[in-house]
Amino acid sequence: MKTFLYFLLFMFLAVVVILLAVLLGDQGAWYFAWLVGTAMIVLISAASAALLDTQEEHAAGQVAGGARKPL
Amino acid sequence: MEIYAILQVIWWLLLGVLLIGLAVMVGMDMGVGAILRYVGRTDLERRVALNIIGPHWDGNQVWFILGGGAIFAAFPLIYATAFSGFYVVMLLLLWTMIMRPLGFEYRSKIANPVWRNVWDWVFLVSGAVPMIVFGAAFGNLFHGVPFHFEWNLTSFYTGSFLGLLNPFAIMSGVLALALAAMMGALTVMNGAEGAMYQRARGLVQVAAIVAIVLFAVGGAWVHMLPGYHIVSGPGAGVPQTPLQQVVAMVPGAWQANFAARPILWLVPLLGFAGMLGALLAARARRSHLGWWLGALAWIGVIGTAGVSLFPFMLPSSSDPSVSLTVWNSSSSELTLLWMLGFALVFVPLILWYTSWAFWVMRGKVSAEKIAEDEHAY
Amino acid sequence: MIDGTVVDLSRIQFASTVLYHFLFVPLTLGLSFLLAAMETVYVTTGKPIYKEMAQFWGKLFMINFALGVATGLTMEFQFGTNWSFYSSFVGDIFGAPLAIEGLMAFFMESTFVGLMIFGWERLSKGQHLAVTWLVALASNLSALWILVANSFMQDPKGAVFDPTTLRMQLSSFQQLIFSPDAQSKFVHTSIAGYVTAAVFVAGISAFYMLKKRHMELAKRSFRMAALYGVMATIGVITLGDALGFVAAQAQPTKLAAMEGLWKSEPAPMSFNLIAFPDQAKQENAGAVRIPYLLSLLVTHSIDGTVAGVNTLEQEATRKIENGIPAVQALRTLSKDPKDAAALAQFNAHEKDLGYGFLVQRYAPDLNNVTPAQVQQAARDTIPPVAWVFWSFRAMVGFGLLMLAFFVLAVLYTLRNKVQDKRWFLIAAVWMIPVPFLANECGWLVAELGRQPWTVFGVLPTWMSASTHSVGYMVFSLIGFVGLYSIFIAVEMVLMVRAIRQGPEAHHGGGDARPRPRPALAPRPVPAAAHDTNLEG
Repeated sequence: MKTFLYFLLFMFLAVVVILLAVLLGDQGAWYFAWLVGTAMIVLISAASAALLDTQEEHAAGQVAGGARKPL
Repeated sequence: MEIYAILQVIWWLLLGVLLIGLAVMVGMDMGVGAILRYVGRTDLERRVALNIIGPHWDGNQVWFILGGGAIFAAFPLIYATAFSGFYVVMLLLLWTMIMRPLGFEYRSKIANPVWRNVWDWVFLVSGAVPMIVFGAAFGNLFHGVPFHFEWNLTSFYTGSFLGLLNPFAIMSGVLALALAAMMGALTVMNGAEGAMYQRARGLVQVAAIVAIVLFAVGGAWVHMLPGYHIVSGPGAGVPQTPLQQVVAMVPGAWQANFAARPILWLVPLLGFAGMLGALLAARARRSHLGWWLGALAWIGVIGTAGVSLFPFMLPSSSDPSVSLTVWNSSSSELTLLWMLGFALVFVPLILWYTSWAFWVMRGKVSAEKIAEDEHAY
Repeated sequence: MIDGTVVDLSRIQFASTVLYHFLFVPLTLGLSFLLAAMETVYVTTGKPIYKEMAQFWGKLFMINFALGVATGLTMEFQFGTNWSFYSSFVGDIFGAPLAIEGLMAFFMESTFVGLMIFGWERLSKGQHLAVTWLVALASNLSALWILVANSFMQDPKGAVFDPTTLRMQLSSFQQLIFSPDAQSKFVHTSIAGYVTAAVFVAGISAFYMLKKRHMELAKRSFRMAALYGVMATIGVITLGDALGFVAAQAQPTKLAAMEGLWKSEPAPMSFNLIAFPDQAKQENAGAVRIPYLLSLLVTHSIDGTVAGVNTLEQEATRKIENGIPAVQALRTLSKDPKDAAALAQFNAHEKDLGYGFLVQRYAPDLNNVTPAQVQQAARDTIPPVAWVFWSFRAMVGFGLLMLAFFVLAVLYTLRNKVQDKRWFLIAAVWMIPVPFLANECGWLVAELGRQPWTVFGVLPTWMSASTHSVGYMVFSLIGFVGLYSIFIAVEMVLMVRAIRQGPEAHHGGGDARPRPRPALAPRPVPAAAHDTNLEG
């Protein structure tokens, strides 16, 4: 039941987002682009840091034979 | 027409709400700044006082910005005329106010006694001067301000800077300062302990007594000032400029609204009750209750000024007929309507998250924690 | 009639205070989202280094933020204190976005910034992350409303002049907020802030890598800033192109000035890469030109054209002659708003009212305007070309430089080699001032290019100022210069100290307040009404 209620809530939110996107995309395409673009820029930048962690762990693994480098 | 008049009155009321918000929230922070050197004797004590309002001063200051923005958007002619007319006073207000945010952020970043002492004086000045200016501006409204308009509504202010510092205005300024100091001291009582608590408690009582006396004297004084009265004009809810009305100066006109609707006497009574209540609450060591009663006092004081002046907002002493009223200086119906829509959505939201922020940061501020924390003000 | 010196001094004061304010704002816009990115990594991976990053850059954020807030106060005052006619003339439209900015954005930003700094120990990880995101969103929403207001000055959409109230009034709120200028200018400015923050963070991280200090923090910060910066720079350049396109439609005089285009010419138009505009002679003393490029840039086609200064001045002459009767009718309507003849005359000429105002500078009573005075006013409609031309080129040049920088930065950091490239790290430190200069140039292009208007085509600058004495203006200008010089000195000292000190001094930093009760678990529940303020 709880899952179902969450499902309904998120479905409702999805519909709201679609409606907003349609309206904003129609009247203010650049505003829409800003919203999407900002989210993308922030998340890619965040992901790139996680990638660095992986790279370092990998490099440390090659040097120390699997020992994790503490941060 | 009807809707327009209603919107005008609503925005007059909303402006009152914002000014009260400003007086209560910014006044409290400025009050703490003004009494900082008295309630805090050591550097650590002063830091405790600053950290009590530390998480909130920034949010509180927005009441001031919002007040300015609302005057601009809802009563542009008043914003334009008053801000340019009061030029030197406004600069004084601005210059002292913009030092305050820096004081919070920068004071405790360097552990040099001279540096910190300078910033403590900055807090005193940037707390006391704006409150005096704020009060004095209200005081001047009762006198009227010397300005007139050209045919296209270019405004000309013909008074001097010193003219704004007349006795009644100074008295109003001191009243505002007393109320701010009272609220600041109650805030210190809420967040501090020991000797600071005691000093603040004494200060609340002194400030409350000063405020009660000045508010009473002010009431009697206004009774003797000539008020303004609209003889003829296009009336409420009609698009117009101030060039189309006739205004006369009539003795006792500032009491006309009270005479017409005696129930309005409750407003000044609320002011007195709030001040007296805050005094008694401080004596009883109930500082939280006292804070709320102090907020009521502000509602009473600003409400009294608003009710006396209504519908005038900025009377002209040199050309009374161009006095600015709720009817001739407001924005258009469409602007007021849109703004009302935004206010209805966002003011409750603001109150909600401000409350949450205060709730998260509630409790006493401890000196030991500040001493070891890089982050504290 | 306002003294010309007072208008000039008011302009100098406004320009210098707003340029100063605009030194701090873009960093706030961009650093807030970068903080959100760092904290997002912290919350998703749980690695404490990212918390340290968020707190360290958060400290620099606050030093900058305080000055942004303080100098922003000046701006809100200044419309009223120094531009009172402007404020009453367009306050009906211009005031609304400023007030909404306070209601919707600035309040949120300021309230949550307190929690962001003081709430590390009192909020759960998720709550604190939400607070940081809200600060970022709110600071950019702030910029949105300010730029909606600014775009009204560039391209007055959604407003009409009301002859009864003698001012511009709102006619469509949607048109105001969705005006093409507002949209592209907001995105351009907001993302320029991201670029500023990216260069700032990359530069300081490079400084640490050069000194071999705080390597873990520096490498990660640099990586995030590089990716953030490269995407943002691409965005800024795209939107810069969009803005040029908008200006070509809405403000042809600005565009002509940006391009140093004195004479209209047939397509395909050549682009002045370098030129030395001479306002008096209305020509360029020497120019390096690239064929076809101008048509491509501003019309996105080879056979498109835009008007040069000579054509625009002729148009202005016609508009001025048409606008004079509108102002005359308005004068009658000011005394009697119901005068039918005056109303008819006004309606016939309303379109060019602003141009009628423009010539009043030379012929105050408008009863016998000479052709020479009309010519003089028409010349006024051209902004200071050399200033606009060179500010524009400097801005674009800085933009391209930063693009090159970030592309290289991404290359090096993705290989995790940037810490070994000494020359590049040194270059990164030297890059720090570049975005700030680019931002200032951008403001100059936008606002000098708008001259001689405060509201383009509607209200001339010379009418907009308050009727102060020269003495007052000198007094306030000296006050601002003095105060602001002290501010910048203090800020630089603290910023450099905080950078030198680095993140260590910051460990475990957080909350000055102990929890009042041990079992206190803060939850985002609205406090009950009696509980809202300082009530424990």
